[in-house]
Amino acid sequence: MPVAASAIYFLNLRGDVLVNRLYRDDVGGNMVDAFRMHIMQTKELGTCPVRHIGGCSFFYMRISNVYIVIVVSSNANVACAFKFVVEAVALFKSYFGGSFDEDAIRNNFVLIYELLDEIMDFGYPQNLSPEMLKLYITQEGVRSPFSSKPSDKPVPNATLQVTDSYEVLPFGMPDLKLGLNDKIGLEKESQLKSRPAKSGKTIELDDVTFHQCVNLTRFNSEKTVSFVPPDGEFELMKYRITEGVNLPFRVLPTIKELGRTRMEVNVKVKSVFGAKMFALGVVIKIPVPKQTAKTSFQVTSGRAKYQASIDCLVWKIRKFPGQTEPTLSAEVELISTMAEKKSWTRPPIQMEFQVPMFTASGLRVRFLKVWEKSGYNTVEWVRYITKAGSYEIRC
Amino acid sequence: MAPPAQSQRSPSPSQPSGKSELSDLKLQLRKFAGSRAPGVDDSKRELFKKVISYMTIGIDVSSLFGEMVMCSATSDIVLKKMCYLYVGNYAKVNPDLALLTINFLQRDCHDQDPMIRGLALRSLCSLRVANLVEYLVGPLGSGLKDSNSYVRMVAVIGVLKLYHISASTCIDADFPSMLKHLMLNDSDTQVVANCLSALQEIWSAEASRSEEAPREREALISKPVIYYLLNRIKEFSEWAQCLVLELITKYVPSDSSEIFDIMNLLEDRLQHANGAVVLATVKVFLQLTLSMTDVHQQVYERIKAPLLTLVSSGSPEQSYAVLSHLHLLVMRAPYVFSSDYKHFYCQYNEPSYVKRLKLEMLTAVANESNTYEIVTELCEYAANVDIPIARESIRAVGKIALQQYDVNAIVDRLLQFLEMDKDYVTADALVLVKDLLRKYPQWSHDCIAVVGNISSKNVQEPKAKAALIWMLGEYSQDMQDAPYILESLIENWDEEHSAEVRLHLLTAVMKCFFKRPPETQSALGAALAAGVADFHQDVHDRALFYHRILRYNVSVAERVVNPPKQAVSVFADTQSSEIKDRIFEEFNSLSVLYQKPSYMFIDKEHRGPPEFADELGNLSIGEAEDNVVPSQRVEENDKDLLLTTAEKEETRGSTGHSQQASFGIDDLLGLGMPAVPDAPPSPPQLKLNAKAALDPSTFQQKWRQLPVALSQELSLSPQAIAALTAPQALLRHMQSHSIHCIASGGQSPNFKFFFFAQKYKESSNYLVECIINTSSAKAQVKIKADDQSTSQAFSTLFESALSKFGIP
Repeated sequence: MPVAASAIYFLNLRGDVLVNRLYRDDVGGNMVDAFRMHIMQTKELGTCPVRHIGGCSFFYMRISNVYIVIVVSSNANVACAFKFVVEAVALFKSYFGGSFDEDAIRNNFVLIYELLDEIMDFGYPQNLSPEMLKLYITQEGVRSPFSSKPSDKPVPNATLQVTDSYEVLPFGMPDLKLGLNDKIGLEKESQLKSRPAKSGKTIELDDVTFHQCVNLTRFNSEKTVSFVPPDGEFELMKYRITEGVNLPFRVLPTIKELGRTRMEVNVKVKSVFGAKMFALGVVIKIPVPKQTAKTSFQVTSGRAKYQASIDCLVWKIRKFPGQTEPTLSAEVELISTMAEKKSWTRPPIQMEFQVPMFTASGLRVRFLKVWEKSGYNTVEWVRYITKAGSYEIRC
Repeated sequence: MAPPAQSQRSPSPSQPSGKSELSDLKLQLRKFAGSRAPGVDDSKRELFKKVISYMTIGIDVSSLFGEMVMCSATSDIVLKKMCYLYVGNYAKVNPDLALLTINFLQRDCHDQDPMIRGLALRSLCSLRVANLVEYLVGPLGSGLKDSNSYVRMVAVIGVLKLYHISASTCIDADFPSMLKHLMLNDSDTQVVANCLSALQEIWSAEASRSEEAPREREALISKPVIYYLLNRIKEFSEWAQCLVLELITKYVPSDSSEIFDIMNLLEDRLQHANGAVVLATVKVFLQLTLSMTDVHQQVYERIKAPLLTLVSSGSPEQSYAVLSHLHLLVMRAPYVFSSDYKHFYCQYNEPSYVKRLKLEMLTAVANESNTYEIVTELCEYAANVDIPIARESIRAVGKIALQQYDVNAIVDRLLQFLEMDKDYVTADALVLVKDLLRKYPQWSHDCIAVVGNISSKNVQEPKAKAALIWMLGEYSQDMQDAPYILESLIENWDEEHSAEVRLHLLTAVMKCFFKRPPETQSALGAALAAGVADFHQDVHDRALFYHRILRYNVSVAERVVNPPKQAVSVFADTQSSEIKDRIFEEFNSLSVLYQKPSYMFIDKEHRGPPEFADELGNLSIGEAEDNVVPSQRVEENDKDLLLTTAEKEETRGSTGHSQQASFGIDDLLGLGMPAVPDAPPSPPQLKLNAKAALDPSTFQQKWRQLPVALSQELSLSPQAIAALTAPQALLRHMQSHSIHCIASGGQSPNFKFFFFAQKYKESSNYLVECIINTSSAKAQVKIKADDQSTSQAFSTLFESALSKFGIP
């Protein structure tokens, strides 16, 4: 059986129960105490998300300031359980207006009870699709006062956003078909049309996964992505590439430790994408030792400051044009500690950025066709953007 | 839902005023109970919400039960839902009051609105009150035939709930066959999926009770059912797909073309966005092709990409779940993944549970072509802030060195670790260098030069210290000051807390003595004297044995203690292949994450008393990995010491009766053996407390603190072996002799028990570790006692109790 969850708990960081649901009687009511005692109050917290205590298994996840704990007594399918929690949280978020934290749960407990009743029965996952749930849920989510309500006005257009994932914002129930410049797709097409493949760059994808709405059988036979999008924004497909990824930046750090109390940091960042393009929201975090006392900077672009809370020099460049190479040079003074010198284990430099109109993978949308029966005009948009996921440079 | 016990745990500070609030609520609810005035529903909603919020934070609001039920006569669905929630929470603790709700729930089961029918039915089945089951059968029967799929979906799970409340009622009402019919005919796939879950659960629970259950279980995985589900698989929700895929793994296709058909049909599932579906599909592929070797290999290639994608997406928890499975596959077929090693590189911010798995995988996939890069990467981690991970990385480098032929570059790196001047790095590197030398003695020259520079004062960890001492003994020829280092270590004998280190010290000084007798003689004498006086049984015995064999014949002693060694080619595997296969069978479950088969953590009988079960492994002194097959540890020691057989004999002899005799013999080396007190005269008959009690944590604490009083090997009768099919049999038997079990585990042929007993009318405890190997019919017993003087008497008692086992 995939998951026969015996209970699900939502706890705050202190271990107070915010909401819980006991689906089965095969675990005692003191399970939450066991979790508190054996996991929360020990160093074990965070060492492993799956723990076996007193004959039961606990799966737990922390999302913002809430622990979500699933208790099972059987040999459950862990991947399924975690996926369920993630999906459930996404569902809650959509009801609460995007936030999921202790306050949101306290404000919405009746709604959560309702949802928990519908999405899981006797420990078996039931329906998590928002459309189906609309029929059965009576409560409205209480949104936190700061988030605005999204407009429900129909916007007859489809925006396709190419990041390292695809998002589609359609309206109605159109049938969509998407063609990419991936190798298999192009080969298949030239085969079908019995004409030689157009020259040009083709991309070899290591692996692709699709949203539920994609007709997988058709993908396997025709190699085109056809789908009927569900309501709202969603991730259509995800792909993985290891060969031939164009990184938009090159980072060249030199860090010199001058004696025990001084450090010299020089970082040069080269943008290697086209000169007409530019990156937005570039943030470079350069770790420095904990005992940093004083810093002084020189930057050729953007702004830099020392952020003691994360022990980093944070260098921000709002707009970063292509083919440029700004530099940062900093002097860092350290407090000389009396204690035995602990050698500093240089953590990696982290970088955040977004580059519109650039795809690191080189994947392009060749066509996006929309068939809409109701007859109104559709406007198709394709937007490319590359965002940094986890971009780290050792120094 | 919030158990009422909650309130006791955290008594709300507003408890007194809470009481008055409760009576306030009660009054208000009464006021609205009969009212049908407009707007009254809104006020009721607010009140209900308040009640539910009290319930959630753990205040006992069960006293409002009557009023809540009175207010439930409403057509407002929001109110109804809250009322159902309340009722479901408190019915179990107030079975009498629950009867009050039956009426309105039954009425709602016939409501016009299918949603109300469904909700009412779900609540009715969730009351979990045994004497109300008669009221469930009717509504469930009509629910299963309802025209609305929502109601049917709820009814199906309702049947399962009924089964758990009263199995016989459920079976007698013939619900299982109705479910079977629904499963094969319903248009709604969620109904079908729920039927499948319910039937699987019911028939596996019934398996031991009824004759038809095994047949029905077989029927679920029969060709027609499987094909029916396969053909509809795309209609199912992602969760239901997981369920169906899991069922398919149990199906046995008739021939290979059938296997290929199923795999072709399911291949696109590997592209599903839900990782759980992908993993379930992977399991189908692996299980179906288990007997077809080449295809099985191809399956590995096919599932590799989707799994690697899954690992790098989603939250760390999800990634961990998938990674554990990938880890299992990598361990089974490392060569398939050897070119993907970069996927197993650790990211700086990853949690350590992910890193740890990745390190093991990097170790496993290392081969001639990628070793250099992997080792370079691992060396980066050695400087990691997270010390446990840094240490694991160093160990990984060592393991790679042990599995490669070309260890040239790796040895240099390891030696660099030794010079890094961080205590924990030095400690781990020392252990590795020791293992490396055992496998590649030809490297001794380079290594010894570096090891010789390490000051033994900087090495504190027992394992590392033992490794250093081993090398000092083994290579005392090449290390100039080996005898003097050993001598200074022996001088501090009393400050050395680890028995392992003291044992190694004894052996090392012996080896050193054979090579450089004049320089070592006095150190050896001191070591043997200290060893014989040692309170630790093993140290004592080994010192005694060395002493005796030296007296008997020095050259024999050298042949025994320091024979020419063969390089170790393979180090013992910690897990038997049988267990590994069991885990593989249980792919896509907790077994893979825990790295043990499910019977070890699910079956109540294998678990021992709760809370103690998971500590069982750690109890056995030191080595955490040896809990699975204890005999392997013995093997390892064999290799290490090449002494065990001789030693065992010695141990057995000395624990019996000849203890006194051994001290009488003159000291051959003239080392002045200290006088050892005579063994106690045979103590009076020992009486045990039949109702002894000891909680697991005390047991653990004592086990750690007390020295081993006695250690012996007992033979078991064939009848006893025959009776010992499961640990329980012995438990019951020993209990009748007032020896209680606190934890047990293992499977044939190896069982492990921890017993305890208490002296009658005294609080003096005896603790016993008993490892039984049924194939050799031997039991290894270690006894620890609060009162050492009576341990011999207890041992006799234990032995006689054990010898009566299996004899009717």
